Formats: sequence, structure tokens, C-alpha cells
Amino acid sequence: MSSEPIRNLVLFVACLVVPMGMVVSSERAAAARLSEAGDAASEVPIASAAEEGYCSVQLKQILRRVAGACGLLGEGGRGCKPADAKNVASMSGEDFNALFSPLASRAHIVQFDAEQTALDPKASAEVEQVWAEKGGASFFFVVSRASKDGGADYNTELSQQRAQAVMGHLQTKFPEDDDLKRVGLLWLGADYAQLGENFCEWKRSRTGEPCTAKDINRSSFMAWIDCAI
Amino acid sequence: MSTPLSFNDERPGTREEPYAYAHNAPPRRSNGGGGGGGGGMKVALLVVLLASLAGLVFSMTSTSDFIEHLDRQVHSIHCSLLPGARAEVGESGCRTVMMSPYSSVLRTTMWGGIPIALLSVGVFAYLIMRSLSLLLSKSTTRKQTLFLLVATALPSAMSIIFGSIAMNKLGAACTMCIGIYVSSAIATVAAIVAHASAPPSDGHSTLGLWARWFGEGCVYVFTLVFFYVIFAPSSPKSAEGCGTLVQKDDPAGIFITMSKGADVAGLAVLDPLCPACKGFDERIRTSGIDQKVALQTVLFPLDSTCNWMVKESLHPGACAVSEAMLCDKDGALDVLDWAFANQERLRTTAKTDEAAVRAEIEKTFPKVKGCLGTAGIKNKVNKSLRFAVANALPLLTPQLFIGDRRVCDEDTDLGLEFTVDKMLAAQPGAASAGRHR
Repeated sequence: MSSEPIRNLVLFVACLVVPMGMVVSSERAAAARLSEAGDAASEVPIASAAEEGYCSVQLKQILRRVAGACGLLGEGGRGCKPADAKNVASMSGEDFNALFSPLASRAHIVQFDAEQTALDPKASAEVEQVWAEKGGASFFFVVSRASKDGGADYNTELSQQRAQAVMGHLQTKFPEDDDLKRVGLLWLGADYAQLGENFCEWKRSRTGEPCTAKDINRSSFMAWIDCAI
Repeated sequence: MSTPLSFNDERPGTREEPYAYAHNAPPRRSNGGGGGGGGGMKVALLVVLLASLAGLVFSMTSTSDFIEHLDRQVHSIHCSLLPGARAEVGESGCRTVMMSPYSSVLRTTMWGGIPIALLSVGVFAYLIMRSLSLLLSKSTTRKQTLFLLVATALPSAMSIIFGSIAMNKLGAACTMCIGIYVSSAIATVAAIVAHASAPPSDGHSTLGLWARWFGEGCVYVFTLVFFYVIFAPSSPKSAEGCGTLVQKDDPAGIFITMSKGADVAGLAVLDPLCPACKGFDERIRTSGIDQKVALQTVLFPLDSTCNWMVKESLHPGACAVSEAMLCDKDGALDVLDWAFANQERLRTTAKTDEAAVRAEIEKTFPKVKGCLGTAGIKNKVNKSLRFAVANALPLLTPQLFIGDRRVCDEDTDLGLEFTVDKMLAAQPGAASAGRHR
């Protein structure tokens, strides 16, 4: 018998079996890896609200008390009176202001003329700008004040109207925005947590203009809070 | 000449191959090298053999890369003609081609489909067998070499077809594919030379022999395909999906319509400057998924300029492009196409000068002027990001939802068509649409 048919048979089988073996072994390896693999997505971070490094347990506790008392965490009314803020914060005005120190890059201060509650064009633009910088923040705090000129009740009323002016502008400019529910208003009048002159160095609507302690307290301090509280 | 399907057909006196020596007649031409062709033919057959061997190596490498991805994970891909060169993980022409719908067939029938490279393995393995068989044979004539010539023309013809698809439709070059194209061309040229140098046949019918050899070629290809299908790994997750949308509504008006008309709604989560999203978008369009699903997109730019979830921008400039898309939702797809076409350049520019990217967007799309960078539009981008938070989406792009079910990440490339088909079949809307047809 000729060896050529046998040789050709061997060739036929060898040329087929070698690539087939490689294909099958590669597939079996892939199948083994597939069965071993867990849920790939579980190893990927999940989209979440911002949680910055300054959000210490103590800070979040105080923010939660303030936010709760001011109606931000439930369906209750928005805004809280100075006495409420003082009580829930349970701290001195200096310590209260110190809470916001880490927010220097996030906060903006809109300034008002003496005894005025209307936002000027620069202040309106500042409000819109800070609103657009919400990032992943959970709450937007507006803390309004008045200078020590005038009586306590008058200043409380004045600071409340300044806070409402910011809120009103947001409602006009972004009427459909769900995030308006995240706004918390505090009006402190002039009897609690007055800002020091050092706050003149922060981002404010009247940058470049003279700034005294009285000027900086005729204001609304606004900041998105990057803490998941 | 013998074949495994008919072992005795080369014996003297066989009907299909009545060689001159079998009839005790002297060969009409003798160039040495046994009773068959001359030295030129043998050399040419050797070249066919070597080219086929090279084609097999390239095809097998490409097939192995494809098979490796059947575990639904990300792997490196071989993208160099140099023997032993390391596989590459990043984006490359090879990855673009492999992930394209043209890299395999029957993609809706099985996960990933059957790779074209596997068919190529079958053809080249067969060509190796056939050319080696002819090389070793003492009685090779033109009727055998003509078959070899026709057989080598098949991969060459396929090379022309797939080469033009790569150039015209994908705009990407796959190095392994080029290796296959070149190997095919060399094999064909060498087969022509072998045929020209081969001694003439006696004029008897060759149909029977050719039919058997063609059958053998089919056995090669279909055996490989059969075993590939049998051993292909499967996962039930492909049809079940990976999670659901909690918040489906769009009160903020952040969804952008990509296609409409189909009964089942789909949602793609994209970053306009993410390379994977570009490939994903191409797959969606070329596979016709955008016609089967009323597709909308929500933007998820992985750029720290607007996205607090990424500490370092993965895709600088993506926030600016996203703003542009939301500024002009009617022209958003034009912006997206432009961003996809200029991804690398835009990312590089934005890394050092985001304002330049914004200026270029305004110049290219004048309609977005006056809107780009405003508080209102930044707010919309923020809403898009918060949509991701509300639905606890993984921090990656692209993502696809069919109805409210999320396509698993591992199913968004090779297994996309198969998975979407399975998920569509499970949708009530798709079922009723099917009944109307």
C-alpha cells in the first residue's frame, strides 16, 4: 500500500486538530474565567453625592441639627430664626462661623447697601454663579446678617428679607429647579455670629470696594455644603 | 493525489487522475523534482505554504484575542506584526476593528457571534494542508494547482472586502488583519506562479476531485465553527441585565433624543469625550440597535470641572462639550459626532486650556454662543450628573438601559447585539411590536 494516502490523512487531521485544539482550549479558559469572575460593576465606584474631607462627624452633626431645625430635612417650613440657629448649634458665634471656614473656596458673600434688601446686578450674578457651582453638594445654605446699626428686631427683619431676596432670585431664575428644596435660609440679624473683617477676603459681590466689618455683615453668605448629611 | 475522503484516488488508473505515468506514457514535460511539477513549482508551493502558515498565525492570534474576551472582561489585544510583540490594553485600530460588528457574524444568535478570524483560521489551515500535500506529491499537475489558486483567491477576495470595510466604514487599521491580507496576497501570487510552472494535466474531468477538495475545505471551516459554538461560554446575566433605573423621568429636560420610532425605550449614558463611548456609538449605529430602540442619552462627563465624583479629569473638556449638547438639543447629535471625531485633540487641549475648547465649540456651533458656560446650562449638566446619583449608576461610561433594565457592562461591546436582542425579546413593547409585523 502506498504511504501517500496515509501521509495525506495524517496531514489532514493534523492541520485541522492543531488549530481546533487551540480554539477549544482558549474557549475553556475563557469559560473558567467567566465562572470565576464576580460582578464587575461592583468593583466600580457608584455615583454619589459629594463628601468632602472637611465633613467631620462633629461638623455633620451640627449641620444636621441646623438643617433639621431649619426645615431642610423634612417637609416643614424653610428658614429658622436666630435663636433657633443658636440653640441647635449650641455654640458661640465664633465657633459657628468657624464651621464655615473650610468652605472658603465654595462660599460667596453678596453684599447689600445699608438698610437695603434688594440685590444689585453684581449680587444677582453672584447668586447665579454660586448656584451653578452646586457640584454634588446636598444642601445650599444662605446665612443672612445685618450690621449692628439699628435695633435687634429691625436687624432680624432686615436679615430675613435679605435671605428671602436670595431665595426669590433663585426662584425667578430657576423656577423649575428641584434643588430649590435643598435651600436652607438662616437670618441671624446682628446679635449672633457676626462676620469679622477677615471675611472681606472671601469671594464677595463687591470685590475691590472698601470693606469694613459693617459692610461684610450687610450680607447674605451662600455656600453649597458638600457633606452627605 | 490522495485525499482523506478518498484514499485511493491517486493510484495509477484512477478515473479522476489518470496520470501519464499510470498509462505508461512519458510525461509531456519534465523539469525534475519527481514525477510532478518542476523546481519552480515546488518553490512556489513552498511560498504558498509559508504564506498560509503566516496567515494562520495572524488569524489564530486574532481569534485568540477574540476568544479571550468571551469571559466578558477587558483584555489586551495583539496589535503588532512583530513576532512575540506584547498585546496592548489601550485603544487601537485592532481594538476598534475587533469590537466592530464586522469582526464576527451571527452576533444576535450567540454572544459575540462567530469571529471572521476563526473562518480565516479554517481556510489557512486547509491551505497549509493542501499546499504541503501538493509539495510532497510526486504527481502534481495543473488541475491540482488551479484548485490551489482558486482556494488562495478566497482569502484574498475576503481581504479586499474587509480591508475596504476597515478603511471606509471603520476608519481603523487592524495590524493583524493587514498581516492576513498580505499573507493572502502572497499565497495567491505564489499559487499563480505554481500553476504557471506546473506540468499540464491530461485533460480529464477535474470536477470530482475539486468537489472533494472543496468538501474538505468546508469540513475544516465547519468543524472549527462547530467546536467554537459548542465550547463558547455563556452567562445568564446577559439576558437578565445588571440592575434597573430607579428614576426614569426627566423633569429637568436633560435627556437627548438619539433615535425614535421604536416601541421600546432605551437610555444610553455617555461621555462625549470617552473613547469607549465613541466605539459604543458606532456599534449602536452599525448594528441597527438605534432602529430597534427609541434611544435617548443622558450625559455623564467624567471631567472634574463639573463632576465632583472624579478627582482627576479622565476626559478633560467633556463638561464643555456636554454643555454644548444641552444648549442645542436639536443639534446635539452633530456636536456629539464632532466631539467623537476630535476626541483626542479636544482632550489634549482641554488639559491645559479648557477655554480654548469652549471657544472652538462656539466657533463650530454658533448656536450655542451665549448659552455655553452660563449658570443655567451648568445647572443642566449638574442635573445630568445628579441623575446618575439618583440611580446609583457605576462611575463609568458607556452604559445602556433597555426599558429600565441595565445592560451589564461586559455586554456593551462584543455581546451588545446578542444582549440587546435578548432584552428586547423580554420587553412587553417588543413582543407586541413583533405581533404586528
